[in-house]
Amino acid sequence: MSLFWIVIRQLAQIEAMAASKKVITREEWEKKLNNVKIRKEDMNKLVMNFLVTEGFVDAAEKFRKESGTEPDIDLATITDRMAVKKAVQSGNVEDAIEKVNDLNPEILDTNPQLFFHLQQQRLIELIRNGKIEEALEFAQEELAPRGEENQSFLEELERTVALLAFEDVSNCPVGELLDISQRLKTASEVNAAILTSQSHEKIQTS
Amino acid sequence: MPSSHPSSDLILHRLSSSDYEIKLKAIREIKNQIIGNRTKKLSYIKLGAVPSVADALATANSDSDFGSNLIVQSAAVLGSFACGVDQGVRAVLDAGAFPHLIRFLSAADEKVVDAAARSLRMIYQSKLAPKFDFYKEQNMDFLLSLLRSENENLTGLGAGVIIHSCETSDEQNILCQAGSLEKLISGLDGSINQRDASLESLATILKNNPEAVSKFAELQNGRALRSVIELTKDRYSRTRLLACLCLICIKNSSSCHLQDIGIKTKLIYILLELLDDSSQVGEEASFAFSSLVSGKEDLQKLAFEANAIDKFYNHLQNCALHPKRLEGIFLALAELCSKLECCRSKFISLQVLNLLISALTHDEANVRTAACKCLKSVSRSIKNLSAGYFMNERIVIPLVRLLSDLSTSVQVAALGAISNIVVDFTPDKSTFIQCGGIKELVQLTKSMDSSLRLNAVWSLRNMVFLADRMCKEAIFMELTVSSVASLICDSEPSVQEQALGLVCNFVDGCMDCVEFAFAEDGIILDAVGRQLWKFSKMEIGIQGMYVLSNIASGNEFHKEAIMQLLFPQAENGSHSLLSQYLQSNDSRLRTSAAWVIVNLTVPASPGAFDRVVKLRNFGIVSQIKRMISDSCMDVKLRARLAFGQINSFGDS
Repeated sequence: MSLFWIVIRQLAQIEAMAASKKVITREEWEKKLNNVKIRKEDMNKLVMNFLVTEGFVDAAEKFRKESGTEPDIDLATITDRMAVKKAVQSGNVEDAIEKVNDLNPEILDTNPQLFFHLQQQRLIELIRNGKIEEALEFAQEELAPRGEENQSFLEELERTVALLAFEDVSNCPVGELLDISQRLKTASEVNAAILTSQSHEKIQTS
Repeated sequence: MPSSHPSSDLILHRLSSSDYEIKLKAIREIKNQIIGNRTKKLSYIKLGAVPSVADALATANSDSDFGSNLIVQSAAVLGSFACGVDQGVRAVLDAGAFPHLIRFLSAADEKVVDAAARSLRMIYQSKLAPKFDFYKEQNMDFLLSLLRSENENLTGLGAGVIIHSCETSDEQNILCQAGSLEKLISGLDGSINQRDASLESLATILKNNPEAVSKFAELQNGRALRSVIELTKDRYSRTRLLACLCLICIKNSSSCHLQDIGIKTKLIYILLELLDDSSQVGEEASFAFSSLVSGKEDLQKLAFEANAIDKFYNHLQNCALHPKRLEGIFLALAELCSKLECCRSKFISLQVLNLLISALTHDEANVRTAACKCLKSVSRSIKNLSAGYFMNERIVIPLVRLLSDLSTSVQVAALGAISNIVVDFTPDKSTFIQCGGIKELVQLTKSMDSSLRLNAVWSLRNMVFLADRMCKEAIFMELTVSSVASLICDSEPSVQEQALGLVCNFVDGCMDCVEFAFAEDGIILDAVGRQLWKFSKMEIGIQGMYVLSNIASGNEFHKEAIMQLLFPQAENGSHSLLSQYLQSNDSRLRTSAAWVIVNLTVPASPGAFDRVVKLRNFGIVSQIKRMISDSCMDVKLRARLAFGQINSFGDS
């Protein structure tokens, strides 16, 4: 994603020039924008980066063949990462945790927020499936200690546990936690963490 | 205390099974339970899981597929126990897993190597890891092979070992000479983790080592240094912080690198911006800031102009601050206000003092210490001291309470602040006295800890400065004559110095004050005399002489007592104490001795003539005459004054 930042930086430079209290017309602006040259190689890398991040293995392979662009990471590792993402998206959090730990045992040990969110998701799934007894036990055994270990989780913890207080969970104030979007959010977080740990991002030397 | 859960009992049972399949499954289950879960880690450690896992690791056969898997899983478990949990590190080391993990670094199976390297890296993040011996050649070979590796886990481990164990400049030099700088520099172009590890380990090697810094700066024609500077703009906050820390190490060890105003300003702005980061990076940024500006007036000025004080104040106002963050901010403010009045004024005008006062009663000792240090810096403001700004109950009451804090460092820091605050120029110290401050200070002068004794005596010395008679009496009564005498003869020279300064301030002022030195058969004066003969530090001799000088400004009895002390009956010749002082190489000592003579020879005193005769007999007068052309102005002026007085009694 570093190419993306190069583009942003270039745009920021333009912005900085504009901020020095000069007046610039729309035409001038558009002309300056058009003059920003982004090399084709950089665009290709940006596309490849997107395909890799989102996990489109086949597309990435094809793109590599057609454009000659080398991905930043080994395409074989994408499959493992996608398996984790898919597990979270389907609500199989325990499975996802096992897979992450197999990939790299450090990730969850060094990302307390991510671990908390995964535990939170587990609780949400238990509640969704109506397993209230198990959910209560889980909240006590697994989530409460997270709050003790780290005070900044307490607020989110309270919100999640509040789900247990309502009869009609999907219509309660914290009902959005049961939404699929919550799963996607957690899945995205895991995805990012795995990517960072695998990242072989190199600096462009000038 | 978590009691053992029925399921964890079961797992432990399976862990010690002789069936490898069952054992592997149990290990994997433990792994998935403890990763990320500090509470579970502590629970399993208490239940004694670590030795069983370490055994499995030790006895596994790395050549078989199954064995490899067992090693990978066991190593992951042990690494997780060690991750951020000191009891875990201890348990893993005690279980004897360390040598096996090292052994597996050279396994054929890459997965085994990775697993072992990760675990070792976790262990080396803790202070409890075994110290690496850089002096052994085979160790250095091993370390270099780690740094040379293509495997990121191995290079990371190498960096981790350096960060943990490299402490002395000899060790730094060994690493430099073995070419580790070059290896680490190549890591600056690598992945995020490699860059961070390289930055941190480079900083460890370069810290306080000018030679290593020059070597580094010359490498690749300065490209390495430029790379680090570039990294201060990296998108990851942790990398920016580590790059700044590395540059600070370089800057503080070198007089020629990174001294231009551009880089100084850049570092200040980047660190101030990093404060906003909500992760641990934000906490550490203020500590980095402290080490950047500490003792450096130019940097403090630049920081002031960058509105650093406002920024820190804004952060302080966020009430849910982690104690570590509070500590960092107060320490940074303490450094900022240590020399510059503009910073102190800003501090006071922003009303940061209110937040500081509440920090004095914080639960964490480190926060209390940091707040006191900050107060010590701010109270150096003479303008505000003389306005009596600090001598009010709001500040004095909590401060005095800290004198009996359970933590010694808090006590010492509180004493530092108090010694400044009591130097207010009003003779009325009643607020302080009413809070029981004197009792606390006197109590601390009897402490076993020398830094507590020193700072307590210092505070009392400052308190007595220009104090009125009643205040002096109150303090003197509390202290008692015998303890003053014993402090003058304390085992620590710096305590002796402060004790003499204390007496000097006691006897300064009215005639009655001089009497203090003569209380209880003059044991204090005796003690002073003894120290004058055999002082170990120049400052002690100087202080002692000024005590005599102040006493000699008293009445006839006082002056005669000084003469008696300086020229004991049996003595004759030119080896008198005074004579030696007058000939000292240290101009301050000569000045102080000259003052004594000035006060002894004041013409208006009845016994002055006899004293002058005695001084002449001991050769002092001719010495004084010579000192009129002394190189030091202070000495010259006093000598001239003394000689003028002596001359008024007739020919010399």
